[in-house]
Amino acid sequence: MMSIFLLGLIFIIVTLVVMFSGIPIAFALGTVALIFMMLFMPASSLDMVTQNVFEEMASITLLSIPLFILKGAAIGRSRAGQDLYGALHAWLGKVPGGLGVANVLACALFAAMAGSSPATCSAIGSAGIPEMRKRGYSPGFAAGIIAAGGTLGILLPPSITMILYAVAAEQSLGRLFLAGIGPGVMLVAFFAIYTVWQFRRQYQQALIESQSAQAGSPAPAILQTDSYSLQEKLSYLPRVLPFLLLLTGVMVALYGGFATPSETAGLGAVLAFLLIGVIYRLWRVRDLKPMFEATIKESTMLMFIIGMSLLFSNVMSDLHLSQSAAQAIVDMNPSRWVLLTAILFLVIILGFFLPPVSIILMTAPIILPPLRAAGFDLVWFGVVMTIVMETGLIHPPVGLNIFVIKNIAPDIALADIIWGIVPFVIIMLLSVVVLCFLPEIATGLPDLVMGTAKKH
Amino acid sequence: MNILLHAQRLISTINRLMVALGSLGLAAASLILSYSVVSRSLFRMPTDWQDEAAVFCLVGVTFLGAAFVQEHRHHVGISALAGLLPRPIERLRIFLVDFVPLIFCGFFAWKSFALFHEAWVDGHTTSSSWGPPLAIPYGLMTAGMLLLCLQLFLQTLQHLLARSKVA
Repeated sequence: MMSIFLLGLIFIIVTLVVMFSGIPIAFALGTVALIFMMLFMPASSLDMVTQNVFEEMASITLLSIPLFILKGAAIGRSRAGQDLYGALHAWLGKVPGGLGVANVLACALFAAMAGSSPATCSAIGSAGIPEMRKRGYSPGFAAGIIAAGGTLGILLPPSITMILYAVAAEQSLGRLFLAGIGPGVMLVAFFAIYTVWQFRRQYQQALIESQSAQAGSPAPAILQTDSYSLQEKLSYLPRVLPFLLLLTGVMVALYGGFATPSETAGLGAVLAFLLIGVIYRLWRVRDLKPMFEATIKESTMLMFIIGMSLLFSNVMSDLHLSQSAAQAIVDMNPSRWVLLTAILFLVIILGFFLPPVSIILMTAPIILPPLRAAGFDLVWFGVVMTIVMETGLIHPPVGLNIFVIKNIAPDIALADIIWGIVPFVIIMLLSVVVLCFLPEIATGLPDLVMGTAKKH
Repeated sequence: MNILLHAQRLISTINRLMVALGSLGLAAASLILSYSVVSRSLFRMPTDWQDEAAVFCLVGVTFLGAAFVQEHRHHVGISALAGLLPRPIERLRIFLVDFVPLIFCGFFAWKSFALFHEAWVDGHTTSSSWGPPLAIPYGLMTAGMLLLCLQLFLQTLQHLLARSKVA
């Protein structure tokens, strides 16, 4: 019998080779699983492959993901994003840096409604970035606000990443959703504070430059303020408030015990289509077709990765690889914080190459037992892991949001975008540190609403 | 080459049809789950069949849409090495990117069919009180995987023909 260590080593090498060949992640994971089943497992296990995948996938919790995506596509492809942004801009116009803060808030609200980071970036960014630049914000700063704001989507409920974490870690989805809200609000606050500070800096600089400039030359755009009449401010509300009601209504249904998380996905989608039908008159087949098509593209791709990741981790566990790796980590008996740092570091590295969904499903069986043994609250860890994975959305080499922004504002240099994003990545990592010292920011709300959890 | 083009056109048409079906499946699943909330809170009716019905719809959406997603190359992979390898190896890599999934999906489709056939012949149902036949989701899974195989087969063939043309 081959030693488990050697088997693990071969498994890692084969996985890396197949994945890096560029084969779609879903099929790559399936292929690796199949190879190891053929070589190291009884022949009968091969007959169970499809049943295995089907039984893992045919859970209503997992299959609520396509419906959450559908709801996001409906809202994301209507004008709701621009209107939301316009309303916040009008209402926050007087605050210094208000435009930037309006963008952060619009991203957060839109991300919570649509649940997709790239969709948020393009919906809010396509209106927000040109407007901020017109008002004299530096291009990198404007791009950073939108890229970072977009990441809030996987922290605020309903978050697809959290659905998967709940399944992989066997934690309550309702509790996880609630645990994301506190840290989500904290991040919004930190982003807003940084935005105001950075705005003031750029404002001061422009002020000094304009004072030293010759008289008669026009004042820089950043020094000008604009004001909206009350009527203008109110005119946005009929279009924006229904969506905010939808957002809160679905949450109330969930936590009031009227609906399960998957039911809120279905209900949310139906209500979103009703709203865009009534408010934006989007109800013809030709309006709806692209929304459904985009949903199928996105959700099928994700569900295949999920199904095959589950097959992959089943094989890993049948070969006792995950248990042995987990046990090895426990036996090393690292101090709590060394363990946490090492695991988060691993998550960051994996985030260079893999989407959050496969990171969670592939690593959960290995990293969760040691974390549990070290006394970490797994709901809390779900939130921390989510924030760390969010940073992967905005830093190279994958940094999906960077490319979305490059698309809507092609004339901003990639280097400017990346430098604009760096401060936000630092803020996100700092907020992880804050969460380590004050875990109640995450666990307080679920404990309050659903009662204190039993500690593992 | 011409036959290939026609074949791809045919598959594309089927794929578009599957997307239309999938859209109906998505709409049906949303409505079923919404109905479940309403019927439970208003009429206090038990809602045991809704989850299963929605699962069947969504399994159908996922598998029937897979070939369409592959046609548009929307199944994401790690492209970090693309363009870094020497040319002959790079060409082999590009070929394998379609060929390996074809083999995997072929195996998966075969096993899906076996599962479907068994469920159909033995009349397997789910274990719930509603107990719908399992042949439905297994059938959807088989159909979707077969279509995906056809799509991958065409894409693999395109590589081979393009290469023989160059040679």
